[in-house]
Amino acid sequence: MKRLLSFLLLLGGLAGCGNTTGGARVSFSAAAAGPADATGGALSFVNQLGYSVTLSKARLHVGAVYLNQTVPISGAQETACILPGTYVAQVLSSVDVNLLSASMQPFPERGRGLGTEAKVGEVWLTGGDINATDDRTVILDAAGIASRSGQDFPFSARLTIGQNRTIPQKEPAYPGANPLCKQRIVTPIPAEITPAEGGTLVLRIDPRVLFHGVEFAEVPKVSDTPPLYRFSDRNDNPADTSLFQNGLRSRANVYTFSFLD
Amino acid sequence: MGKSYVLVWSFFCLVLCVPKQAVSETGNGDEKTVAQTHNTASSRRESESKESKETKEITEAEKKKGGAFEVAVSAKRQPPPSRGAADYHVDVGALGNVPRKNAAELLKLVPGILLTNDGSEAHADQVFLRGFDAREGQDIEFTVGGVPINESGNLHGNGYSDTHFLIPEVVATLRVLEGPFDPRQGNYGVAGSADYEMGLSQRGITTKFLAGSYGTFRGLLLWGPHGARDGTFAGVELYQTAGFGQNRDGRRASVVAQYEGRTENHLYRITAQAYIASFHSAGVIAEEDFLAGRIGFFDTYDATQGADTGRYSISGMLESRVGKLVVRNQVYAIARPWTLRENYTGFLLDTQEPTQAPHGQRGDQIQVASMAAIVGAHGFARLSGEILKRKQEVEVGYYARGDFVHSTQHRIEAATQVPYHTEADLESKLGDVGLYADLNLRFLEWLALRGGVRADLFTYDVLDLCAAKSVSHPSKTNPPLDVSCLNQQDFGKYREPFQRSTTTGMAVLPRMSLVLGPLYGVSASVSYGQGVRSIDPIYITQDAKTPFANAESVDAGLSFAKEIGPLAVSARTAIFRTKVDRDLIFSQTAGRNVLSSGTTRMGNASAARVTGSFFDVAANLTYVRANFDDTGLLIPYVPEWVFRFDGSLFGELPYDKLRIFGKAFRGTLALGATYVSPRPLPFGERSNPIAVVDLHATVGIWLFDVGFVATNLSDAQYRLGEYNYASDFRNQAFPTLVPMRHFSAGSPRQLFFTLSINLGGGK
Repeated sequence: MKRLLSFLLLLGGLAGCGNTTGGARVSFSAAAAGPADATGGALSFVNQLGYSVTLSKARLHVGAVYLNQTVPISGAQETACILPGTYVAQVLSSVDVNLLSASMQPFPERGRGLGTEAKVGEVWLTGGDINATDDRTVILDAAGIASRSGQDFPFSARLTIGQNRTIPQKEPAYPGANPLCKQRIVTPIPAEITPAEGGTLVLRIDPRVLFHGVEFAEVPKVSDTPPLYRFSDRNDNPADTSLFQNGLRSRANVYTFSFLD
Repeated sequence: MGKSYVLVWSFFCLVLCVPKQAVSETGNGDEKTVAQTHNTASSRRESESKESKETKEITEAEKKKGGAFEVAVSAKRQPPPSRGAADYHVDVGALGNVPRKNAAELLKLVPGILLTNDGSEAHADQVFLRGFDAREGQDIEFTVGGVPINESGNLHGNGYSDTHFLIPEVVATLRVLEGPFDPRQGNYGVAGSADYEMGLSQRGITTKFLAGSYGTFRGLLLWGPHGARDGTFAGVELYQTAGFGQNRDGRRASVVAQYEGRTENHLYRITAQAYIASFHSAGVIAEEDFLAGRIGFFDTYDATQGADTGRYSISGMLESRVGKLVVRNQVYAIARPWTLRENYTGFLLDTQEPTQAPHGQRGDQIQVASMAAIVGAHGFARLSGEILKRKQEVEVGYYARGDFVHSTQHRIEAATQVPYHTEADLESKLGDVGLYADLNLRFLEWLALRGGVRADLFTYDVLDLCAAKSVSHPSKTNPPLDVSCLNQQDFGKYREPFQRSTTTGMAVLPRMSLVLGPLYGVSASVSYGQGVRSIDPIYITQDAKTPFANAESVDAGLSFAKEIGPLAVSARTAIFRTKVDRDLIFSQTAGRNVLSSGTTRMGNASAARVTGSFFDVAANLTYVRANFDDTGLLIPYVPEWVFRFDGSLFGELPYDKLRIFGKAFRGTLALGATYVSPRPLPFGERSNPIAVVDLHATVGIWLFDVGFVATNLSDAQYRLGEYNYASDFRNQAFPTLVPMRHFSAGSPRQLFFTLSINLGGGK
């Protein structure tokens, strides 16, 4: 009888315990910004090819942001664009980020997530449907001047990710190996973050790294008076390819995630 | 063809060719039963047949010997000996007046039951029983008159049990055994078993009409010939509704006919049944979309969801008694076409594969279909004798069942309704042959030991017609591209797209109950048992070990049953613990149950019922805690607290002035109330509680009864099911890939008017 009473008491006790299925859903604010040392004015630096670059304008359209607890295999080349069941945070509103400013530029809507540690982040550079066959939204809008050996290269870049970024498929066995959605998603970006209720997810984007490998002398010249070099917005030019593939889609150093509790 | 002819002929011979042996009373005549006197309006109106008198005489005589656990039994066919406090023999009686949409809702008369339905009225109810999310039947063995309802090999859920074909008015009794404590319980009896017994106490021709909210209409015709047993009847039901909210319209028709005969020595029964139904369903709503006003509470994302289903069955049963030996055999055949269309995730799962032509998200709608042919037989021989001056019994029985199922699961493109991907295509031949031995030993007047052992052999022969779904290195000259079921291996080497897997497994299941009492109406019991659930054929691999999940359950309880003056009072409480080695948890993304780790449930179930000359009230309360063994975390969706109240007032209205031509008005007022505490959801969340009250009132005179039904009387806007998972219903610019709250809407208040006419019923 004592055992029975003990069992009933145990049941009662368990009923009052804060038992759980594990984990928690959280909401948080989200903001994007340029590098911490940006002043809001022009940003000057020297790229890896020795160009002295001064950015007078750098705006990036961020469509959405996700945090994922799974690290894609082989740099996302062999995985689908979306990995169902592995996402731990999302910010589903777009923001145009002034990359020359260090101040926080909030996403219009709060982010949602789980109290689970993320491993990588994803930045979706799209104006709408990630699978859209075309998209004319200007993702990167930048301008400035690059100088080397006494020669100046005033430049502008208005990059989009639509049909112009389609990668021709060489292997007939893999017609879907390079869908356009992969061109629009920058991942995996290291992001060991555990979202918490009420915190702020911060995405910092360093525009200097975008131009680190750009050979400005290869940017097509579109005007002599005044001189202007404009990125072609196609994968047909080494400078454009460098800005797009090695800059905008760079998984290291361009994008940095942090979480403020 | 020749074999089929022999089988059919054998079947009818067994059913109809009654041997003419000189034997005595059939049935488990020694079974100690106390028939609670549920003097319902209907039963008092019925003309008492000779057989009814016989039954009363038997039960009255047995009252004095009765154990407190054997309560509320009025079936003509005697039930097996009680297994203790977890064994509920429910005489529906006046509680049948409480509004119930279908026969599954009768389950609420026993503790710990919660029913939900994300599908439609052609979709099986999801049953929660004592901490088991039994989904649509995977953990409960459902039978009707001994004929199985669980479907082996149904891709939506192995053991899927749709009881919508049952006409509630012809359900006479219900036995629910909450736990695997009886050797007669077979496959799927993990959380327990539910056996419906059909019968019609209202003789004559009864027509019922119901019309009301949301264009709902129901017509019912019942016929119970005078002079025949309650088990002889026929019923036809037609039902259609526009459904509340969006996309819940549908219609169904059900026919059942049963003949039950009895000679001096034999009881025999033949049953035929047909059922067809087609319903749309609304599916789930994302909470964020509802709160943001992007979609209404009762709306749908995908208006093509729904189900089309049918069930056709015949069965025959013959029970004979030769001296102290009772022998029963039953055979059955079932044909079961079934199709379900559902979309839990919107546009999320159609990920681009390298070998596929470039595509966007085409839609996640799943079309699951199966066509099953089920044949089986079961029976027993029970020998009784007197030892220690008390009647002792031993029973040996067999169970044989074959399921021949073709099941498919396709993904459907939302824009065109064209299937674009085959996820499964299985031809399964599933066999289950079981043997059991059951002892019913009475050592003392107040001490009985009941139980034995059951062994089941499961055989699987699964032909996977879509065995190869991917290839690491496809042919460069002849790539498979979008083909779902591939016929090539690495580097284009040919293979057939199918593969056969066979395996067998045997489960040996001891089951035992020790029953003490009754003493002053109080009895105590301890039960132990193991149950088994066969594995979904989709998980079968060649020579897979132990292709079933095993459950171990213990239960200890007290019960009280006594007639106190004019009242029949019964009450019981039990604590229980059940451990399952490999559980199944529903995955919204997979669209079916998926294997998980081991689980344990423990808790308490209590119930009470009081019946008087003009009322019948019952209440039950269950608490259960269900955890995963490896992490200790709660199993999501399982309700912890479930409370249910059923009450009915009935009788002649006590106003002499209201009499017409000397005939008094009669009336009933019945109420059912359910409370379910917030359920644990994934990611540490809790659902909203559910509190619903249903009401039914009737007034009748002579041949006619008119009534009024109100379901969800308070018009509470409640979420019948709540889930946390990722989806993308394209109501936002970007997909919601983080698990979010989704819900299926519970029914709003619905009002119906009923008219019932009985001809030849002796009113």
